[in-house]
Amino acid sequence: MSVVDAVDGLGTRTRIAAASVGVALLAAVGIALAGHADVLLAVLALLFQKSTLAAALRLSVPIAFAALGGIFAEKSGVINIGLEGLLIVSAFGGVYVTSITGSVWLGLLGGVLASSLLALLFAIVCIEFRADQIIAGLAIWLIALGLAPFASTVVFGSTNASAGATFPGIDQLLANTGIPVVSTTVVAGLEALAGIPFLGALFEASPVVYLMFVAVAASWWTLNRTFFGRWVRASGENPRALDTAGVDVSRVRYAAVILSGVLAGVGGAALSLSLGQFVGNGPTMVNGKGFIAIVTYLLGNYNPIGAMLSTLLFAGLDALQLSLQGQNVLAIPRPLVRTIPYVSVIVVLALFGRTRLPEAAGEHYESGEE
Amino acid sequence: MTEAVRLDSITKRFPGVVANDDVTLSVERGTVHALLGENGAGKTTLMNVLYGLYEPTEGDVYVDGDGLTYDDDGAVADAPRRFDSPGDAIDAGVGMIHQHFMLVDPMTVAENITLGNEPRKWGGLAVDRDASREAVLELSERYGFDVEPDARIEDIGVGVQQRVEILKALYRGAEVLILDEPTAVLTPQEVEDLFDVLEELTDAGKTVIFITHKLGEALEAADEVTVLRDGRNVGTVGTADTTREELAELMVGREVMLETETPPATPGETALSVEGVTAVDDRDVVAVDDVSFSVREGEVFGIAGVDGNGQSELVEVVTGLHSLEEGRVELAGRDVTHASRRERTRAGMAYIPEDRQDRGLVMDFDLTENGVLGSQHDAPFAERGRLDWDRAEGHASEIIEEYDVRPPDADAEAKSLSGGNQQKFIVGREFSREPSCIVASHPTRGVDIGSTEFIHDRLVDLRDEGRAVLLVSSKLDEVRGLSDRLAVMYRGRIVDVVDPDEVTEEQLGLMMAGERPEDVPRAERVADAGPRSRDDADAEVADD
Repeated sequence: MSVVDAVDGLGTRTRIAAASVGVALLAAVGIALAGHADVLLAVLALLFQKSTLAAALRLSVPIAFAALGGIFAEKSGVINIGLEGLLIVSAFGGVYVTSITGSVWLGLLGGVLASSLLALLFAIVCIEFRADQIIAGLAIWLIALGLAPFASTVVFGSTNASAGATFPGIDQLLANTGIPVVSTTVVAGLEALAGIPFLGALFEASPVVYLMFVAVAASWWTLNRTFFGRWVRASGENPRALDTAGVDVSRVRYAAVILSGVLAGVGGAALSLSLGQFVGNGPTMVNGKGFIAIVTYLLGNYNPIGAMLSTLLFAGLDALQLSLQGQNVLAIPRPLVRTIPYVSVIVVLALFGRTRLPEAAGEHYESGEE
Repeated sequence: MTEAVRLDSITKRFPGVVANDDVTLSVERGTVHALLGENGAGKTTLMNVLYGLYEPTEGDVYVDGDGLTYDDDGAVADAPRRFDSPGDAIDAGVGMIHQHFMLVDPMTVAENITLGNEPRKWGGLAVDRDASREAVLELSERYGFDVEPDARIEDIGVGVQQRVEILKALYRGAEVLILDEPTAVLTPQEVEDLFDVLEELTDAGKTVIFITHKLGEALEAADEVTVLRDGRNVGTVGTADTTREELAELMVGREVMLETETPPATPGETALSVEGVTAVDDRDVVAVDDVSFSVREGEVFGIAGVDGNGQSELVEVVTGLHSLEEGRVELAGRDVTHASRRERTRAGMAYIPEDRQDRGLVMDFDLTENGVLGSQHDAPFAERGRLDWDRAEGHASEIIEEYDVRPPDADAEAKSLSGGNQQKFIVGREFSREPSCIVASHPTRGVDIGSTEFIHDRLVDLRDEGRAVLLVSSKLDEVRGLSDRLAVMYRGRIVDVVDPDEVTEEQLGLMMAGERPEDVPRAERVADAGPRSRDDADAEVADD
């Protein structure tokens, strides 16, 4: 039942998978026919390496969390284009709090707090003061882009900052629970499973990867099974219907936007604390992941599971291009290799951009207005 | 007498406007009460006060679905209500069914009915979907409604959507139901069904207030009628003791000619011909399916149908605003199938569009600029790429004067005009093109009775001058009264072309609901058809 519902809304999206595979096969045949079968084999070998899957999972985390946040905000009628900014402040906030407290978990909380406050500001500007959501969202990004490296320079004396700690591995985390069965048997089981080629990466990932899968499931359930989720959807489709049903639309939208801040905050802090540092020069270490998140949830048609799958598609391609760069398999310049995931996403979007936007997305709503 | 609702001396002012002026209204429990008035008479404002969307500037609201109580002097003993929001009104047992349904299209019937009031489980976190489905089925059975709780709103018909709205109010414990223009989107048969539903409700002790501008419906469905004019209550009458004429006079404030005879047409050559036209809508669904007809000079060809059966797309194909998949459109023998809008205008086709704000006017332009829209490339207004604004202003002033557009100011922005005046300006502009063919889509939507009369007379004049008129309207009286031949559209097809003198409203209604013409009993009912007339009093006075 739940599975059927989950697939509901993915209908046209299933074609994406089919098409992606088709495009990849065509490319493969092309390369093989051109007499470069060895190149093809090398690419395939890279694709099915355990380290590629591990990298894809790791790269997915910030994008997936930001996408989940974007889904809640936009489903409620507020287009949150400032996800990138939320990721940036939470990436710095996470590192800052960790460097003070020494605990990555408190750091994660700090990142969430920073991002939520910025999201609250965005919500106030958009809902209370009826600002244009797109402009306000861009402002959030630009504020974060300036603020985080600046704060880093003030506190750490450099735009780059070290947290002094990273997330423990899942095995370490479980071993320290103090529960005998978990710290011995389960850990041993995980270690055995991690030995499996390719899929073994699923059993030795960072704790935030598992948190991501839990968040995807929880988001789906919240949107589709709870009263809050219904109100969020109604608020984005027909806010007047929700208002006349006696529910305060502004409050629902505030809650949804702040929730988007919380989720993006987990993503941003997870990004920086996985590396144990904040990189603040240029486009910062977030480097467009917030914008990619918007693409992935649109591609997933606002379904958290769809968004997760398109995030994995993107992150997988990103992981692959990283390996390709490292091993220099393709005889083309690296800057071109680096564009592979972006070009693929544009192609997929152009071919399957049939996303159904919430009816009232981007529109202000005021009770009693005729 | 037991009142369920009493509005005592309600005044509602908006900046610059008094929408309700000292209105007192009393509604008896267990009855249907019609609130009748023209557009802008303040009906909806008054009901929004009762529903908590507006706070009254002055006056008191008393509501009790079980009946108000009185003290020894006969004054109301209940405390006046103060509704700060619709939520408060709902708590007091007042439910409103809006003209534009307040439904969330991608959600199911049960989800919509329980929205904001969902049965919960798991400590209040999750929605108990089984319980809400059962609650909907139980309610729907009690009042004899036929709704499927798991159907999505976007997949069900308008009549059913309206029932969902009513169920939504009942689910929230409404004792007093307000229906805002409930028949505007329904076929005549659906209207009958709705009236049956209202009877079921009042039998069950509910009180119904029914906002309408249609005399006939007020008389048919209501026990009492209160007429509003210019924000004032001009009289409450029992439907048993009044007549259409009396109500019309109350509504308009002067005597109205309800029925005018239209002289027969003397058609000439074919002016517009449409052959085998098929077109799809924005969602790639076939909206117009192999439609053929022709309109002759000196003839009004009407197309009747419930909104959304392909008329809009057909009109836009004819006028060159919508692409067609197949078929051919000819204007005076010339193939214009792929001609642009401008070419068609030059070839003599005028167009009164359905949506005046979206297609008819540029809202931020003044009337001078709007008056030359569509002629801005041509003499006499354009000369070597520049516009002669003096001439344009003179042109706008002529339209304003001839069509009584208010305010009479060519410099006024289009958006500052009321809907009816915007419509009159568009009609004036299009008629001033001296067209050989006029495509009029809902030409009197949102226009008051007086202007409706005027627009109808002008259409007949143009016809008598030998011009071809294609008239599309969802108002049966209008298309029946004006058309010389009448086509009925259903799901993108023309069901039949009939002589409007030889069908009754019921027969047309059946065809509009998709009944095949041969299944519609005709011969024995011709006697009911009566003289061919148009009923201006039931002119559509839509929202603005």
